[in-house]
Amino acid sequence: MSYSKEKVDTLLHNGISRRNFLKGLAASGVLSSFPGGLLEANEDLNTKIPYLGEKSYETFRNACPRNCYDTCSIKTFVKDGVMQFIEGAQESTYTRGGCCVKGNSYVKRVYSARRLKYPMLQVGGKGSGQWKRISWDDAMEIIAKKLLEIKKDDGTMLGAALTKYSGNFGITHYGIEGMFNSIGYTTRLAGTPCWPAGIDAQNLDMGNMWCNDPEEMKDSKFIILWGVNPASNSVHSMKYIYEAKKKGAKVVVIDPVFTEMASKSSQYIQIKTGTDGLLALGMQKIIIDAKLHDQKWLDANSKGFKELKEYLDKDIKLDDVSKVTGIPLEMIKELALSFAKAKPATIWMGYGMQRHTNGGSMIRAIDALVAVTGNVGKYAGGARYGHLSTWGFNYAALSMPKPEGSVGYTGPEGAKGEFAHGGGGEKAAYTDRFLNINKTARELLNSKGPKVRLLWVACKNPFSQDFDRNQLIRAFKQLDMVVVADQFFNETAKWADIVLPVATQFEENDVNVSYWHYWLSLNEQAIKPIFEVKSDVQIAALLSKHMNKLEKGSCTFPQSVDTKEMTIKEFNPGIYAQFGIKSWEELKHGPVKAKAVIPYADGKFQTPSGKYEFYSEKALELFGSALPKYLEVRKPYDKFRMTSPHSRWSLHSQFQNLEWMEDVHPEPSVYINPDDAKMKMVNEGDTVAVFNKQGLLRLKAKITDNVQPGTVLMYEQWYNNNIYNVNELVDDTSSDMGAFKTGAPGVALHDTFVNFRKI
Amino acid sequence: MKKKIEENAIQLSKRLQMSKTLRDIFTSQDSTSLKIAFDALESPIAISEELLESDFNRYFIGPLSPIADPFSSIYLDELDQVMSKSTLKVRALYETMGFSFPQQNQIPDDHIGIELDAYYQLLYIEEVKNIDYLRELRHYFLHEHLNLWIPLFIERALACKEGPSKAMVYILTQLKSFLIRETNTQGVPA
Ligand code: SF4
Repeated sequence: MSYSKEKVDTLLHNGISRRNFLKGLAASGVLSSFPGGLLEANEDLNTKIPYLGEKSYETFRNACPRNCYDTCSIKTFVKDGVMQFIEGAQESTYTRGGCCVKGNSYVKRVYSARRLKYPMLQVGGKGSGQWKRISWDDAMEIIAKKLLEIKKDDGTMLGAALTKYSGNFGITHYGIEGMFNSIGYTTRLAGTPCWPAGIDAQNLDMGNMWCNDPEEMKDSKFIILWGVNPASNSVHSMKYIYEAKKKGAKVVVIDPVFTEMASKSSQYIQIKTGTDGLLALGMQKIIIDAKLHDQKWLDANSKGFKELKEYLDKDIKLDDVSKVTGIPLEMIKELALSFAKAKPATIWMGYGMQRHTNGGSMIRAIDALVAVTGNVGKYAGGARYGHLSTWGFNYAALSMPKPEGSVGYTGPEGAKGEFAHGGGGEKAAYTDRFLNINKTARELLNSKGPKVRLLWVACKNPFSQDFDRNQLIRAFKQLDMVVVADQFFNETAKWADIVLPVATQFEENDVNVSYWHYWLSLNEQAIKPIFEVKSDVQIAALLSKHMNKLEKGSCTFPQSVDTKEMTIKEFNPGIYAQFGIKSWEELKHGPVKAKAVIPYADGKFQTPSGKYEFYSEKALELFGSALPKYLEVRKPYDKFRMTSPHSRWSLHSQFQNLEWMEDVHPEPSVYINPDDAKMKMVNEGDTVAVFNKQGLLRLKAKITDNVQPGTVLMYEQWYNNNIYNVNELVDDTSSDMGAFKTGAPGVALHDTFVNFRKI
Repeated sequence: MKKKIEENAIQLSKRLQMSKTLRDIFTSQDSTSLKIAFDALESPIAISEELLESDFNRYFIGPLSPIADPFSSIYLDELDQVMSKSTLKVRALYETMGFSFPQQNQIPDDHIGIELDAYYQLLYIEEVKNIDYLRELRHYFLHEHLNLWIPLFIERALACKEGPSKAMVYILTQLKSFLIRETNTQGVPA
């Protein structure tokens, strides 16, 4: 051997030998003799031997920007420029030092070899798999040219469409909408596939969607977890629920599925899907009949209690409630009375419940139950759904003026989605054009006057989440250009012309708040962006540079941005006052919590009457019923109801692509009740076809009585190397509400019906 | 005698040339530079610039999972990860060799192109500048690092059943022979 392994190993690990070796190296003339390449001679060695040994950790503040209740505050440990590990921030009493399985995998996610690394152009056409690596400048020039061509041909930018949703909830990510604002009036896929019916319901009842601090739940005396499964999907809330339970509170889970949360509750009540509103109304009737309602609070704070009572007296029959919900009447009575007697009592409503054709009306009915018992506006009480009260940022990245002379849409203006903030106050002659995000394929195919020709996809993976895959492929194929900006290659990228590699939160600066808890976290850039990834706002800036180069004034987005400066611009005195800080820099020491406020404790509701509205004229006008009346759920159109809740292992399509996750959760399954399985002669592990008029999926059967007879369950998930997308079985039938506050109704995802057979 | 020396000189420059060409192939960023580097291999395969690049991307770059990721960490450490233990070991080696890497923490230090760049430069100072100071480190790099993973990388890439690319097979074969020559006979063809 022409070398000694021990000797070189020592050199590498022993500081003194290495130092001596480097001294000799400088003297040997090596440094001036290297021919040069990507590696260069370290000229510093000529003057001083720098310290090259083991480095110490640097720490950074980060936040998890996923679409998750918990929005964890994170502390990141970096050594020699490489992320080593993360932990939940200790300063946040909510995160309390720990993330979830998904968050704990962040180092692996950032350094996954599967990251998108370079801008690429699909030269063989969409879906061909023939890709060419291109520079950022080339990519942006191609896109800029297409945009300007659209403007020239149509006289407007409406042919350019943006679809963006919840892939990253960092505030500067509204810079993506800002990018589209900055090029003119464009087309937006608007609305939300997530929680719109419930948002409307709460706004009709209380004039806002504003939940109590989840940390208060520790002092609740009675907690109903209604169609929500925090044991899987909001793990940080669990400690408050456990604490309350330990102190004697009753924790009841009402859910059609026996969830992990159900297994940890004091009582589990299995309800027939889509009948929750009726149960809530029945409970109110029982409570009012027993005179356990809070008359004093109702007199002072509500509108329409009399009408509600009349409706309950006349139309709600308890025997029917029991029959329809599938819950014994005695159990309903016991539940209603014990809930009414406990003070404070609270109900947390999940988002799945409102993904029905009667979803909004069910949330309204449950809100009413909380209000009737006087638990609205109370510490540790409340009808909890979510909130955006800590989201009062400047939205500087979003608020870009239109280029001078921009021409847009002149049709009726719609609302823009639940997170739509700012964007200039004055009423313009034109608006953007809004298409329903929940009918993306159809809307893209049918768009005209002018036709959509370019689609930009960011923070979203429509092919794994949206409905009707075949139509979506057709819609993508007929577009002149599809740009997909993402961190990983996915089904949507497969149908793109250009993919752009996007930074993770560790590679950019940002600021994060939650739609559930009340903490504020700074997100600092902890590492250099790997390969050629860029943050979304940097992409916008580069696009602006190229647009302006081709046509001066065609884009108002700043032509170069620093994500830190962009982040600082988001803060304002209101945020500082709410969080009790003087400057954003204080967040470098850790996350801070908003000053405690009990929602509606002052009796002020932002409804037209200023009160809690059991009777809402707005609801009557928009949805045909002033009261939270029982609305029957969609009628079955096939043998079995199919529900598609979220899994604990991933967030929509995020995280599941990581190899270790595949080990834990390798393939999709359909969960079938033993009775149904027997009838269909399906055994555990059999491959079955689940099908309906929309499509067909093949997957493994799991037999469990966690799901009710007549119902099958499949997780809404994405699997690597598998085109499984449960939403292929879903038609895009709307839920009852959503159009009021978010621009478009939600989707009745859980009103899907299927049949199955063994194959 | 004189002739022998001349022959050696030609062979040595071929060895150097090959390491440089392989480096250029794996560090190319566009189809043109890739094609120039590929043509320098003097392969008998006729292929368009565009097809060469899309094959190259399918094998080594992405955006879909490439057939064989070109980082040592993939073969030596945990599956599917870059910037891990072996990356940092290579970083320490580069530092000890007197290199600095301007794209550090952006491109993993153990990317095959960067490693071939190091190897080419180390050979260069020995062959052209007659400086032996780093010879032992080069041997260590070859035997204790490159040889531990590049054969696995080549094997994985050659196992590609779906649409194997003649051009890529040619590149990989050249890379393989280069490594074998370096390992067995210090670059001199046996
Ligand atoms: S996914 Fe949710 S619980 Fe997990 S780290 Fe992110 S915010 Fe926290």
